[in-house]
Amino acid sequence: MTTPESLGTPKSEFLDGVRQALGRANIPPSEPYPRLTETIPELEQQAAEVRSRLANNLPNLLDRLADMAAKGGWNVYRARGPEEAIGHVEEIVKKSGATTVVRSAQSVFEQVPLDAALASQNITITTAAHDNENPRESLRETIRQSDVGITGADYVLAETGTLVVLPRKGLSRLVSLVPPVHIALVRAEDLVETLDDLFLLRRLEYHQQNGEMGSYLNFITGPSRTADIEMTIVTGVHGPKEVHMVIID
Amino acid sequence: MPEIKTQDFSAASVAAIQNPKLRRALDRVASGFEVARLDRVAEATPEIWDAWRQQARDIKIHTIEHLDYYLDLLYTNVTAAGGQLHFAKDADQANEIVAHIARTRNVKVATKSKSMVSEELALNPVLESIGVEVWETDLGEYIIQLAEETPSHLVAPALHKSKEDVAELFSEKLGIPYDEDIYHMAATAREVLRDKFMEADLGISGANFVVAETGSLVIITNEGNGRLSTSAPRIHIGITGMEKVIPSMQDLSIFLRLLPRSATGQRITSYVSMTTGPRRSDDEDGPEEFHLVLVDNGRSRMLADPALREALYCIRCGACLNICPVYARIGGHAYGWVYPGPIGAVVSPMLVGLKQAKELPQASSLCGACREVCPIKIDIPRMLLDLRKKTAESPDLNIRSAPKSERILASLFSSLMSSPRLLSTAVGFANLLQKTERILPFSHLTKDRKWIRNSLVPPLSRWTRSRDLPALPKQTFRDIWNKELSRDDS
Repeated sequence: MTTPESLGTPKSEFLDGVRQALGRANIPPSEPYPRLTETIPELEQQAAEVRSRLANNLPNLLDRLADMAAKGGWNVYRARGPEEAIGHVEEIVKKSGATTVVRSAQSVFEQVPLDAALASQNITITTAAHDNENPRESLRETIRQSDVGITGADYVLAETGTLVVLPRKGLSRLVSLVPPVHIALVRAEDLVETLDDLFLLRRLEYHQQNGEMGSYLNFITGPSRTADIEMTIVTGVHGPKEVHMVIID
Repeated sequence: MPEIKTQDFSAASVAAIQNPKLRRALDRVASGFEVARLDRVAEATPEIWDAWRQQARDIKIHTIEHLDYYLDLLYTNVTAAGGQLHFAKDADQANEIVAHIARTRNVKVATKSKSMVSEELALNPVLESIGVEVWETDLGEYIIQLAEETPSHLVAPALHKSKEDVAELFSEKLGIPYDEDIYHMAATAREVLRDKFMEADLGISGANFVVAETGSLVIITNEGNGRLSTSAPRIHIGITGMEKVIPSMQDLSIFLRLLPRSATGQRITSYVSMTTGPRRSDDEDGPEEFHLVLVDNGRSRMLADPALREALYCIRCGACLNICPVYARIGGHAYGWVYPGPIGAVVSPMLVGLKQAKELPQASSLCGACREVCPIKIDIPRMLLDLRKKTAESPDLNIRSAPKSERILASLFSSLMSSPRLLSTAVGFANLLQKTERILPFSHLTKDRKWIRNSLVPPLSRWTRSRDLPALPKQTFRDIWNKELSRDDS
């Protein structure tokens, strides 16, 4: 961490200008914003409601996830267990003609051990976790040279068909972004119904951890795309051209 | 700030209307984005859509009314997350902050994801002047950077370029064979920019939202360039307007529903990236330093004016551009500055000064379509009228825009309407004239031998050049009142 520099206009002067424009002195919000005064027990209560709503409706919500993910541009696969999931991954990798695969080091790979299966097809598979022998810079090059990136999820959103990833040791966000094909392995326990539910759970964790948010919260919904030339949709402009979501019930 | 050409609005719009290539491009946008937006509104149901808009508007009203409080909270939480928040009162100060960071960290190459505020500041030339190579990475922004132009739409900056234009540009600037296949051109940009992402020391992004509760910056993109720019280089600087702060992370859900649907008709974009501070010690990637630069640059003038304050609620979705009958004909460049369309016609006069942009509030038929589509229910027509009033009443003769003839007419009309006797005499006289349907100079014969009621007498002809003179009814309301309605039938 660097020492804060004093650049630009000092905060007090800038805020005075804002107050002057608003035509009032230093008065805090007259009606406190309800969300910002919530206590941890109140957030826990709401989170419990979110989880029970989810548990009571899981099969429907998994269907909704599959539907919305497909609408969002994912190729969606349903798997009844790890073997089926590995089968889908093998097929996707084979179809794409890939020879190199990079994956994150998330817990889902303990449940779905796909390294051996891919290795048996002569695919080079690397785990993107830095250590003394593999510094961040060399990992970045490995990711860049890979044909396929495979990750798990921290959450998936039924509302939008979105994969949500948080920073973890062993999870580079470049794995889901740089290779031309991305495969996401999603478990029923990763499911959250709505955007509101997700942000509630994240806020609870943020306040429970005394204001540690983690350096990012990333959403992925479908392939990288652009319509910047003549409104024609082109996929794979900076991120992956193809994205696959394997939902493991 | 970039060159301000708002004073050339009339001439530029006339030229734009006569450009058939531009018209084709604008038609594509209108039929693309707006049709998709309507689908999403129907899918959500109009009632729920309206409730979302109201909820978002309420959040914006609350935040802007307490902007000082939330900026202070944001400062606390950006700092707590290990980042630095810098306040800039104007473009020069903002550019100097970024240049200072670049100089002191020995930055050679910078990649940028789309940022309208950096266009507003004209940041790129400042960085280039201190020897930093700057690469725009959004495909549309990359195209206009190569062409040395400015964006013509908030969401699709290069929409005015045809595929042939882009192919020619790539061939000339990148030294590759001419190839107008859109897929190939996108792949070329991917290749060129991929190297730059990996080489860059500095990533610069805008922000769609900044969250006071957590000190986070949120960017919404479809290409993935925003995520690459903010995770690969060793420094990340986010630049945005001070009005982009929202109170809580949970407020994001409503804006994430409204913004993509309103902008491109998507339920959500491919990528939403929320970053909070620099990378932590265990993270696999991410910048070592995070800076957020919040810019005033004229926004406090909007804040200080209760009639125009709601322009600060804008989330830059571009829906008002896509529906506007004026934008649809003249495109973005005619507006002469960074922010085009109906919202630009409000924002530009406030940011560059009414004197230079006094014609922009006239660039509207006041049909109200922009207000209808705005996800924050911003009353743009009301603000355009307010700006017209400010122009008309300004003591500064350089601002007052109406020609003498128009002001004389307006004062005559005003005396006519405030005197019942004068009005009734005038109506009687006009009725007489009207009976002789074909009387010149109040009517003229068209080529297909129809009489059109208009005026050929200057200066009245200026008014009727683009309008028909409405016919007077056979009976006026006053006649009806005197004959029938005033009798008490009870």
